[in-house]
Amino acid sequence: MKERQLPRARVDCISREFGDEVLVYDLQQDVGHCLNWTAAATWRLCDGNSSPSQIAGTLSRKLSVQVDESVVLLALDQLADAHLLVEPEVLPGRPSRRVAIRRMGIAAAIALPLVTSIVAPTPAQAASCLHGGSPCTSNAQCCSNVCDLLVTHRCVLG
Amino acid sequence: MSAFGVRAGVRVNISGMMPGILPLLPPGWKVSHRVIVERLYSLVVGDGCERHGMRRLHVLYANSMRVARDTSLNLVLEALETDLQRYTAEATPQMTFLHAGVVGWQGRAIVIPGHSLSGKTTLVREMLRLGATYYSDEFGVIDDSGLVHPFVRPLGIREDPSYAQTKYTAKSLGAASGIKPLTMGMAVICKYEAGAQWQPAPLSRGQGALELLANSVAVRSQPHQTLRRLQKLVTHAVFIKGTRGEAREAAASILNQPCPDKGLETA
Repeated sequence: MKERQLPRARVDCISREFGDEVLVYDLQQDVGHCLNWTAAATWRLCDGNSSPSQIAGTLSRKLSVQVDESVVLLALDQLADAHLLVEPEVLPGRPSRRVAIRRMGIAAAIALPLVTSIVAPTPAQAASCLHGGSPCTSNAQCCSNVCDLLVTHRCVLG
Repeated sequence: MSAFGVRAGVRVNISGMMPGILPLLPPGWKVSHRVIVERLYSLVVGDGCERHGMRRLHVLYANSMRVARDTSLNLVLEALETDLQRYTAEATPQMTFLHAGVVGWQGRAIVIPGHSLSGKTTLVREMLRLGATYYSDEFGVIDDSGLVHPFVRPLGIREDPSYAQTKYTAKSLGAASGIKPLTMGMAVICKYEAGAQWQPAPLSRGQGALELLANSVAVRSQPHQTLRRLQKLVTHAVFIKGTRGEAREAAASILNQPCPDKGLETA
């Protein structure tokens, strides 16, 4: 089996549990991710030694319900998009959300995997902006996002 | 001076300026007798003599970096206040600063995270009019136990097209200011849209924490501490998210939400 079919989770991230979900902070890219239970459980099982079908089997045993491999592939797809896997390459047979839903059945015991991401703000972005006419040294400080750096060194009116 | 474990100094080239500078220092500041500071502000007030064709400029430096240079001393002092607050929020090891409005209500904190111009202060003002206690219109300050501390300064309400802020004290709005740190009972993620109906949807704890992360001042420089404090902060909280129209309607609805202890579960 090729290595790319044995997904491995990145370890250079910080993760914390928030109820059923896990917040992951990517120290390299300064991006925060929220993994729902299914995505988080899949991510934790990405040890570099288990294939997607083995991960699906482990999840099935943990939950005592049948977890289809397409659900795991969907989770891996999202985790790869979020750069939470080592060398995330295109996995074989990228499943569609529709296929995964169909295979999970109507009365699914688990939620579809979901990874939500945000770029962490810089300190300037996470503070109140300066009004038109205020002294400024960069565009990011101004509500209008324009600091006249050539002449007045003041925020331009929005 | 020292605030939240951050030491900063301010020096001015003329005497008699300091009493006007003290109100600009971060809430809760104390005199520090340590000689070494992490950030030294130097305010150079332009001399009074006007020469033909020359402008009298006032200049503010933070260490060796120029922060502001302007003919208006008031604008330069405003820059000092803003920069010092921002630096404190970014550099403090003791607390995590969230860009958020905060009020106290029934012994819990309601936190309203959001970027500039999202309408935090307007919503805070309306909640104060309905009897909430003022904690902050700029920063939610979170300690290691996940408690929310007051960061009381006059509310800066943007009332004109230049986004200039008019300052109002909580007292002038008939509200009391908080003193005790509070547990967060609710976080409200909202944006303003003229004419919108306030119909918030519940948000899961993880999604809510991600919204708070998106408004954490020092998450890039202190990611471990930020996540650890957020985890404690959200333990007993519910999250709602929506688009609001008039602040009055949204404020009344938010304050009428049952608190978590009374049965409202996290999504």
